[in-house]
Amino acid sequence: MTSAKANRAKTVSTYCYNCVAGPDLLTVKVVDGIAREIEPNYEALRIEPVCAKPCVKAYGLIQKLYNPHRITMPMKRTNPRKGINESPGFIPISWDEALDTIAARLKEIRSRGVVDESGLPRVAVSFGNGGTPAFYMGSFPAFLSAWGPLDFSFGSGQGVKCVHSEHLYGEYWHRAFTVTADTPLVNYVLSFGGNHEVTGGAAAVQRHADARARGVKRVQIEPHLSVTGACSARWIPIKPKTDAAFMLALLHVMVHENPRERLDVPFLRDRTASPYLIGPNGFLLRDPVSRKPLMWDEAARRAVLFDAPGVKPALEGTFRVAHAIEVGADNELFEHHDVDGATEFQKLVDHLRPYSPQWAEKVCEVPAAAIREVANEYLDESRVGRTIEINGVTLPFRPVAVVLGKTVNNGWGGYESVWGRTMLALLVGALEVPGGTLGTTVRLNRPQDNRLKSVKPGPDGFMLNVLNPTDRENWVSKPTGRNAHRSLVPLVGNGGWSQALGPSHLAWLFQNDAPKEWPKPTLPELWFVYRTNPAISFWDSKHLSETMSRMPFVVCFAYTRDETNHMADILLPDATDLEALQLIRFGGTKFIEHFAEHEGMVLRQPAVAPRGESRDMSWIATELARRAGLLEAYVGGINKGAGMPAPLAGKTYDFSLDPGKEPTVEQIWDAACKAATAVLTDGKEIKDLAWFKEHGFYMKPFKRVDWYLYPTVVAQGLRFELPYQERLMRAGLELGRRLHESGIKWWDEQLKEYMALPAWHDLPGHWEKALIRSGANPQEYPFWLITTKSMQYTAGNNAGIQLMHEVSQNVRGHGGLVLNAATARSLGIEHDDWVEISSPDASTRGRAILVQGIRPDTMLIVGQFDHWVTPYAKDLHAPSLNTVAPILLELTDATGSGADLVRVKVRKLPNAANAGAPKHSGDGRAPATA
Amino acid sequence: MSRYVMVADLRRCVGCQTCTAACKVANATPPGVQWRRVVDIESGEYPEVRRTFLPLSCQHCSNPPCVEVCPTGASWQRPDGIVAIDYDRCIGCAYCFMACPYQVRYKVEKVTYAYDGIPMDSELAALDGRRIGVVSKCTFCQERVDAGRAQGMVPGKDPQATPVCVNSCIANALSFGDIEDPESEVSRLLRENESFRLHEELGTEPGFYYLVERRGVKAR
Repeated sequence: MTSAKANRAKTVSTYCYNCVAGPDLLTVKVVDGIAREIEPNYEALRIEPVCAKPCVKAYGLIQKLYNPHRITMPMKRTNPRKGINESPGFIPISWDEALDTIAARLKEIRSRGVVDESGLPRVAVSFGNGGTPAFYMGSFPAFLSAWGPLDFSFGSGQGVKCVHSEHLYGEYWHRAFTVTADTPLVNYVLSFGGNHEVTGGAAAVQRHADARARGVKRVQIEPHLSVTGACSARWIPIKPKTDAAFMLALLHVMVHENPRERLDVPFLRDRTASPYLIGPNGFLLRDPVSRKPLMWDEAARRAVLFDAPGVKPALEGTFRVAHAIEVGADNELFEHHDVDGATEFQKLVDHLRPYSPQWAEKVCEVPAAAIREVANEYLDESRVGRTIEINGVTLPFRPVAVVLGKTVNNGWGGYESVWGRTMLALLVGALEVPGGTLGTTVRLNRPQDNRLKSVKPGPDGFMLNVLNPTDRENWVSKPTGRNAHRSLVPLVGNGGWSQALGPSHLAWLFQNDAPKEWPKPTLPELWFVYRTNPAISFWDSKHLSETMSRMPFVVCFAYTRDETNHMADILLPDATDLEALQLIRFGGTKFIEHFAEHEGMVLRQPAVAPRGESRDMSWIATELARRAGLLEAYVGGINKGAGMPAPLAGKTYDFSLDPGKEPTVEQIWDAACKAATAVLTDGKEIKDLAWFKEHGFYMKPFKRVDWYLYPTVVAQGLRFELPYQERLMRAGLELGRRLHESGIKWWDEQLKEYMALPAWHDLPGHWEKALIRSGANPQEYPFWLITTKSMQYTAGNNAGIQLMHEVSQNVRGHGGLVLNAATARSLGIEHDDWVEISSPDASTRGRAILVQGIRPDTMLIVGQFDHWVTPYAKDLHAPSLNTVAPILLELTDATGSGADLVRVKVRKLPNAANAGAPKHSGDGRAPATA
Repeated sequence: MSRYVMVADLRRCVGCQTCTAACKVANATPPGVQWRRVVDIESGEYPEVRRTFLPLSCQHCSNPPCVEVCPTGASWQRPDGIVAIDYDRCIGCAYCFMACPYQVRYKVEKVTYAYDGIPMDSELAALDGRRIGVVSKCTFCQERVDAGRAQGMVPGKDPQATPVCVNSCIANALSFGDIEDPESEVSRLLRENESFRLHEELGTEPGFYYLVERRGVKAR
């Protein structure tokens, strides 16, 4: 939709994908070549959910475009010494010099082999939040695919601080890399720290507003009253990291305090592993010949195969089985005659018995009556037995859902919480059905754009899930990446996203404290950094910067100077959001609450010419490929679909590019437009780049019934692999043996997480023990410091945008430390006082913001700040949890994630006048040459 | 005769400041000037606490105190209810500041830019020297409303004739339209929901309504 409204003005259709809730469709009003206004894309208002209205971040894109601090020339470092207190001495250079320098380095590396003597890739790449850089980097993925093995280990927060356990277990159990309530149909939502009004994007905000208007009740359970809590019917303040105990008590009330018929017994019996029999060693009882799992047939009164025709399996009880085997770790066989087998559900019932609300009250510091009330409300609202018709298909209707937020679904307790959440859905049949708890996308399985098609039958009647091997022959005993994801985390697999979803903080940690049992990890010889600033966005930011300073050659795509590119050798100014060209997929079901009634393609196109010498990422990728001698493989990668919304050739179409020729940016995306529409329409409609520039997007209906996995599970005769986690338990046992055989004991605590049924242990105690081990006294650090996101900033890499700072100041908490008013009074702290927040490792400073809506033992910092280079942001003097949060192996869970949680102490600063001074001496301002 | 009003549904607003930012960009207001903002209000005492997000801007009162005190007639009210400021007549005396009970008027004495006094191209292109030394505030996007009406559009229905804050609202919390038209969205909302206006006791008769709950239905 590029239409001239007047001789001097035009509106340009494009998208914003600054966070995972994108793309938001929008238009840019351009007058006399200057971008002046951002507006919703009114042509797209008919698309449900309404993604034609961008959120607040998009209104900062004009400032992002014209920010005078932008880097608009390639630059090189002139100071060979790197460090926080070293000025890089960047000077402008030509694109030829910049690209030739990088290409020469790449060629030289390639001549010695892309993998070094330690078996690790010589080139590493770090991207920003949640895969969103892919929606800006044009054809750069094709360049990376042309190169070959790369190390994505060096995380910038995502992959560890994200909703990590939810990603891994969610995808394992119900193809739910991200999880949501079926907001358009749900009536009752339990939200444990979920913050959908902030992070769910425009679609979530609108849908939840609609839900509130029709009377949905959401109970928000979290230590502080977040924006989402503010928009909820009830706030229950809970002690940090005790959410799993709350959920165990909810399950207890449902199973032990209510009649069984209040649960969805048919669903449990027919669509879950609940009737499978467990043997005395904790493994499934199997048929000795076929090795198939056994169930107890109530009609025949004997054990039968799980897939026996006409079986009426017992849900509950313990039964005597005449002959069966268990398959343990490393294929160890236990043969039994006349053995007792309990159903998985019976195991669950027994497991939940101790977890009463009275027990949970002591753990969570929430009254037992409140927990019991919530459990019974949830049961009341679940409407077990009701159905609904969606697109002509009759499905169960269960309008209750449970959602989790960060720090609940990552780090220690993530497994227990995600299991608890999924079990709450399972007990009432509210998993993957209308009104219930849904997954929205997959990343560890393929195809990534259709989670229903990712479901394949696996062994034992469950969905196929391929874990990293833990058997003696196939376990990866020597890491192939610097975070050792294949060696340590079976659940993460080894797909395209797996490495980035591994324990990416360990890549940083191992550089300074390498396990002696493995070859010392080398530094990558070349590190590409794109749309991310790990020196700010990860924990232990100071030590991260020190490690970065040792990187021999760093190439940063640079918007402005920042704390990470402070260590760069080359800065490349890529064209920003409103200056470049790219076609991406839109709609269907994807991250967060983007389960849409449309699917299609949307174009990002230049509203104005790139500023200065900044260049489109696809141009940069092509030039790098050509100069590094990778052109043919690069174009071949584009043809296969690397970085494209679809392969450029298929069974019925062929728009592939000539691998022998260097394509222009427009040629790449013209072919992509044609191929993408060919895929969408089975070749019936082919739209080229010119069409997309005019119209902005192409959409077609997406069936609502495809929001739900349940019909696919039924069609394939599968069961959800719950409640009992036999396979994970076995993987943990085998992993433990492999590690111990290698002399590795430092992962033993993580191995304990491989429980078949998650049992409560003192999860907050992990942080207290870590303090003690570091030599500190937990009583001296009495407060829990947590963080929360901000819609103005989350994932936007926009801390340097003045508009975002200005409007964010209307929302409490930005730029300071939020603490309970009574707590503050006890510490002699007044509102707006400067305070110092300290862990044993480091301190950060900010102004005190006194509120009632936070637990007395909890403190909160919004977002990720504490910048010391980024123009504008460095003058905000905002505190950051990342500054004081350590990276510790012992605070890493079995999936390789951690949580934004630190024990701290707080003091009022005596000399308020100096409190806001930059903490990194010798820096904080760009050198004259930059 | 039309009477334009705005309606904010407090059940829907999430305090995201999208309207704040959209207004600033569309109206090119300088740093610190927010013709529209959403305030974040906490009430109660731990653990019985509530936070409320309240969009706030000029209330376009039917009895606007600002108009009453303006010595030059710069602040005036249009027949359609929009309280406007004629920058050419404003002398910047700030009487209206004192009279307005809603604290939604601004005055800047010099040109300022977002970044250290370095003007961006977008700022230079949008610079309106008439706004220096005078009072400014939310205009209900009167130019947009007028331009849309001139093309036969309906304010509050057609986005091109509707204030940008309303168009931008991702929660659909904001509505705009003619309260004299019983078929308008704002009339429907006010019929179906309980509402209040700020400082009604002052008799200013604001043209800005806040919805709290549906008539006859208690919010959960």
